[in-house]
Amino acid sequence: MKTNARSFLGELYDSRNVLSQLVSQQLILRYRRTALGYFWTLINPLLMMSVMALVFATLFKADLKTFTVFLFAGMIPWNFFSSAVTQSGASFINNEGLIKKIYLPKIIFPLSIAFALLIDSALSFLALFVIILFIGGSLSWAVLFIPIAYVILFFFALGISLITSVATVFFRDLQHIILIAMQGLFFLTPILYKNDALAGKVAWLVGLNPVVPFIELFRAPLSQASLPSIIVILQAIGFSLSAMVIGLFIFLQQEKKIVFRL
Amino acid sequence: MSSILIENLSIKFRIYHDRSPSFKDYFASLFKRQRHVAYSDFWAVKDVSFEIKAGDRVGIIGHNGAGKSTLLKALCRVYEPSDGRISVDGRIAPLLEIGAGFHPEFTGRENIYLNGAILGYTKQQLNVIEPEVITFAELEEFIDTPVKYYSTGMYMRLAFSLATAMHPDILVLDEIFAGGDAAFMAKARARMHNLIDKADIMIMVSHDHELIKSLCNRVIWLDHGKLTADGSPEDVVGRYLAGKHNG
Repeated sequence: MKTNARSFLGELYDSRNVLSQLVSQQLILRYRRTALGYFWTLINPLLMMSVMALVFATLFKADLKTFTVFLFAGMIPWNFFSSAVTQSGASFINNEGLIKKIYLPKIIFPLSIAFALLIDSALSFLALFVIILFIGGSLSWAVLFIPIAYVILFFFALGISLITSVATVFFRDLQHIILIAMQGLFFLTPILYKNDALAGKVAWLVGLNPVVPFIELFRAPLSQASLPSIIVILQAIGFSLSAMVIGLFIFLQQEKKIVFRL
Repeated sequence: MSSILIENLSIKFRIYHDRSPSFKDYFASLFKRQRHVAYSDFWAVKDVSFEIKAGDRVGIIGHNGAGKSTLLKALCRVYEPSDGRISVDGRIAPLLEIGAGFHPEFTGRENIYLNGAILGYTKQQLNVIEPEVITFAELEEFIDTPVKYYSTGMYMRLAFSLATAMHPDILVLDEIFAGGDAAFMAKARARMHNLIDKADIMIMVSHDHELIKSLCNRVIWLDHGKLTADGSPEDVVGRYLAGKHNG
């Protein structure tokens, strides 16, 4: 087991060059030959979130400034998580040509997606930062917690992504199911509303939702100018570790069967 | 010194008769008492054993679907053995399908780095071989154009030049002798021979028996996934051709 783990990590280290090529391929390709290029990565979610902020601030009769920061702080971790899980679902299927021709450690396909999205997300976070300053929001030292929040969120998203990437190879229907499930999960996650706002029959669903503490990790420093409570941090780390353990376990067990099922 | 040892290698493919099983089928089959078998097993390679030592130039022959390419892909670790073992000592080059992993939107130069990384070259190695690859492929003018605008010949030249830029210990070839015009073909052939000369071990699959006889010092005949003959090129190719005419 020890030698297995060492060869797995060694192989991953040896293929760091392919990994960085795949990451930059993803970052560059989307906006090649567009006038604004990579800027679209920043503009797109910001415009989307602005529309949402405007609509829901009016709907909830909330103060636009506060609500914008509140919403953006929730949307950024959510967008990262949801894109990573959805895009990884197709990662082996989209690279079928490569996987069937050349041996590469297969984990690099979901991993490269997660890395590319992390870079996107970090940059849109910087844009949010500028917006907060611009609309005169207050920033506190608690913001320094954000990189740690990203690390915890990254491993959670990667763990779930490993599960969806492998499972989709065996059940192609999952590609569509994941999309719908993420839509549902979005509304069950306190992004548009406050943590305890959803009362009544579905409240227990929010209680079971593992994404909730991750939103809180980002929202506390940005929107409430305070560190997240230690319970929330521990919860998030717990979910993150469990996702990685389960994800790696499923991945390593099925890795060698993937090529036969593409 | 490089060597390859293959012991009782078998590779099984599961052939699904209708389609990939959906969730519905999966759950339905859980509740059915008698499971409906929607697939059959197919042994592409069955119980093959042989050893290759440094200096061997091995040609693999056999009819279509005999398991030749599957065997090569197993050597390059694309397929995991269903049974048996493969031990490879030496740096093996995945030269099965040149141009795999090229991205049409990327320029020639970007593809050198992308495809080079996939082939296992380091960034430093790629920096060194980049000018040589471009010169050999005769693409100086078009190297910063996306490869989707390349002609088939240009694409092949770039892929071939890159794939053959490094000298592996173990060279694995699946029917590749580059395309392009006559002048490039001659150049490519010389480069290929040079590559073969410098490799410790060469394994190739080809239907061109003259080529096999001229390049190999040992031939393996695969038939329906089983090893039928292993010996000198003249002898095995002769028996293969004779057998084909009789059958």
